[in-house]
Amino acid sequence: MPDSKQTMSRRDFFRASGLVAAGAVGGPALLGGLTKARAASPAKPAWVSRFSACDICFNKCGLIARVEDGVITKLDPNPKFLKSRGMLCARGNAGLAQVYDPDRLKHPLLRKGARGEGKWQRIPWDEALDMAAQKMAEVREKYTPCGHLFTAGSDLQSQFVGRFAEVYGSFNMTSHESLCLVSGSRAFLDTFGEVPFADVLNSKYIMMVGANRFEALVTPDSIDLMTAIRENGCKLVTLDPRYTKTAALSHEWYPVRPGTDMAFMLALAHVIINEKLYDPQWVAEKTFGIEQLTAHVQRYTPGFASEQCGIPAEDIARMARELAEAAPASMIYPGRRTSDYEDSTQIRRSFAIVNGLLGNWDKPGGLLAARQVGLKGVPYDAPWYDENQEDRIDAGKVPMMFEHEGSFVVTRDSVLADDPYPIRGWFIYKTNPMGTAPNRKKTIEMMNKMDFVTVVDIAMSDTAWMADLVLPSQSYLEREDPCSGLQGSVACACVVKRDPVVEPLFESRPLFGIMKDIANRMELGEHFDFTMDEYRRQQTREIPEALGVMDRDGVYYNPSKVYGIYDGRIYKTLSKKVELYNQRYEQMGLDPLPNYTPPASPPENRFRMVIGRNAMITQSSTANNALLHQFLPTNTLWLNPEAAGRLGVNDGDLVEVTSPVGRQELKAEVTDRIRPDTVFMLSGFNTLSTMQQLSHNNGASINELLDDDYDAITGNASMHTTFVSVTRKVA
Amino acid sequence: MVQQLAMVIDAAKCIDCKGCVAACKVANNVPEGQFRNWIKHAEFQVVPGISDNKARFQPGACMHCEKPTCVDACPTGATYKDMDTGEVVIDESLCIGCGNCIPACPYDARYRNEVTRKADKCNYCPERRAAGLSPACVDTCPTKARVFGDINDPTSAAGALYVKNRERLTRVSAQTDTLPNMYYLGDPGPGHWGGKAVVPASMVAMKESAPFIKGIVALSGLGVLAMLGRQLFAGSEHKEDTDA
Repeated sequence: MPDSKQTMSRRDFFRASGLVAAGAVGGPALLGGLTKARAASPAKPAWVSRFSACDICFNKCGLIARVEDGVITKLDPNPKFLKSRGMLCARGNAGLAQVYDPDRLKHPLLRKGARGEGKWQRIPWDEALDMAAQKMAEVREKYTPCGHLFTAGSDLQSQFVGRFAEVYGSFNMTSHESLCLVSGSRAFLDTFGEVPFADVLNSKYIMMVGANRFEALVTPDSIDLMTAIRENGCKLVTLDPRYTKTAALSHEWYPVRPGTDMAFMLALAHVIINEKLYDPQWVAEKTFGIEQLTAHVQRYTPGFASEQCGIPAEDIARMARELAEAAPASMIYPGRRTSDYEDSTQIRRSFAIVNGLLGNWDKPGGLLAARQVGLKGVPYDAPWYDENQEDRIDAGKVPMMFEHEGSFVVTRDSVLADDPYPIRGWFIYKTNPMGTAPNRKKTIEMMNKMDFVTVVDIAMSDTAWMADLVLPSQSYLEREDPCSGLQGSVACACVVKRDPVVEPLFESRPLFGIMKDIANRMELGEHFDFTMDEYRRQQTREIPEALGVMDRDGVYYNPSKVYGIYDGRIYKTLSKKVELYNQRYEQMGLDPLPNYTPPASPPENRFRMVIGRNAMITQSSTANNALLHQFLPTNTLWLNPEAAGRLGVNDGDLVEVTSPVGRQELKAEVTDRIRPDTVFMLSGFNTLSTMQQLSHNNGASINELLDDDYDAITGNASMHTTFVSVTRKVA
Repeated sequence: MVQQLAMVIDAAKCIDCKGCVAACKVANNVPEGQFRNWIKHAEFQVVPGISDNKARFQPGACMHCEKPTCVDACPTGATYKDMDTGEVVIDESLCIGCGNCIPACPYDARYRNEVTRKADKCNYCPERRAAGLSPACVDTCPTKARVFGDINDPTSAAGALYVKNRERLTRVSAQTDTLPNMYYLGDPGPGHWGGKAVVPASMVAMKESAPFIKGIVALSGLGVLAMLGRQLFAGSEHKEDTDA
């Protein structure tokens, strides 16, 4: 050893001195000029900067694209963009990898083999558009206009799908929202008369339940939450069966038993009411139903709730007192995705009711009403079709759906049963029900039921994979988009638009142009007889300066009122007050106050599966992103060590997960960051589409496993009601 | 006063979103699977109830140290400390990709770039700064946990934080104390992860005997220069020899 060490040293020494000498040959090191030469500032980058708004999730954060020679080299946050507090997250940065994804769709493709077999023929655009129009006309002829379903994701151009569906004559339009947030929106709408925005920044006490704001980023809430707790003295308490990053950064965290949030909330109400911790004037003047609520919550003692949710009773009582003490600058955070249980509207009603008791509506640190943005709709007259169906296919199957969202899960069941009428055509834009709706086998069945499916997207999603005709759309950085009004809580009310920052790649076209071209072929052209510029001018007719301001700053702000919007105004509910007790529910035979039903416990050796996000993933649209893939190469099954020990599963073992509807294999991640009775995995992996090279045959598909229950009031999918078994896969 | 470009980081503000890492990778064409910066995780104590309020995540990158062991380990002078800005710089044209500097960094901030085959690490995005922008990681950070600037200039963002919090600023404690210029407000997060700088003995010896060796090297360098001069002024037949 000493010898070899010596040899090394000698060699190093010679190498070193020799090289320094060699360096001296080529350079002025010894002449003393080198330091200055090195320190000279590098050239400014040769980029041009163009504004846009991010599209990797729904937030639409303002960005500046740096473009060199027609190629985007970097996406930076727009520092003037208040809603996102001048930031761009990992996904926003990875937008580049979406635009330049080698898996992007390049030209129209027509299915050649069996559905889902993956055999495609490239066809010219004209032929593709002729075919789409012809098939749509055939479906309408044969099955009435409602025989065609239209589905669009949250995109600035999705409104043109809605417009097309209406002028075509179909009431059947679904979106991603009934796989996500409709039950939460329903609950707050039916309590306050509108869906609130949380004033996280100014809050002094935030209960984060059924939400994970430091991983499932919502702007400005996620950023404001950190400012609130780190700089403004806000207390953050999180209830989550997982030790999420939000939990890790909270002042308190409780691994709540899944499905028991309502018991916890009603116990908070119990303490606030029985200890008279609410503002009596607020409750008397602004709320309806305190007597009924008082009687209702008597049985929901902290002790009862504790037995249900596993949080000590004295802590529940303490938290109720702390919330009331900080009121009105305290809140139960409303959350966003609420597609969890079959009573998810009622669960979120209990959240809304506690907020009602805290009297935080329209006040700093509480829940805020929508601010005035100033953008207007662009009206149109849809033609009347005598021979049409009377209503949507999912109409009346759950009592309180949102008119333009519907319920995807209920629609799917109805299509499969032809109940009450057949649907045989499907047009889908930039959403991926094959990858986002629970029970993938049923979505495949639904696809198989169709005469013709047209998908417009930038990549071969699993939904596109199952289509007849796939049309390549432009990415968000290649196209002109309508204006969009954004609610940024206390940060801003603003408007954004998008203009192309680079030339569109390949043969991609914007959805707007596609709809226009199909409409023209179906004698519906008059409804699309405008340019994007004309459309934007219509939208901004009451704020004409907005377009110029957006060109200059990338965003237009409406300095509208933030607080006190409801001063002297009535609430949009039956009682014209905040409805602790919902009168309309009573009239409809629904529980006017939320009644808690204990969730079923997983049978022996089975687990409740919960879903969720982290900051490197947007549902099913990012698992194939080459940059994000480096942070999240696959998904894993979170399994508590206690459960893993029982099953003989070690960290990293391949496990088979079996649910009542499907079976998948993936690696186990044995971690104490999850309860022993619960398992978790991220979505978007194990795509069927081989044209998603990074996510195909990688990890497990969660929607293959999830059962397709839904919320009884809104038809929102319930994605926390599936029990799975886990077994170690023997190689 | 000369500059000391540095980062002042509030680790407690980090939500581990990887925005900084993604931004850095794009801005600097960092090859797949390699990283110039990071967010380290503390050992989570998963205990229900009231938190211990310790930092959970620790953003980091090259710390542009006061006593950079990587500079000691570099045989060619490619890595050096810029006395005007306080940055630790890699002059790519001088780097031979020997890799000596990589274990010499106790923070694991360096790697051999798979594409260029040269040493690589955070350089505070000089092109962006020339355009008046912050380094990519700082610009993109959602919670502004990373703050960059000249800590000797109290009017810079980092300088103001540095002055205001001087008594509670901490640095990562590595086994080799390199006096890093990355300051953390309060708890720096995961403790004691800084390793030991491994600098080739020859380089240490060279550093210690630096004046003497530099003298010799300078003389030999001058000799080589003289030879080069002779070559340049000599006839073409010598050139052919060189080319061969």
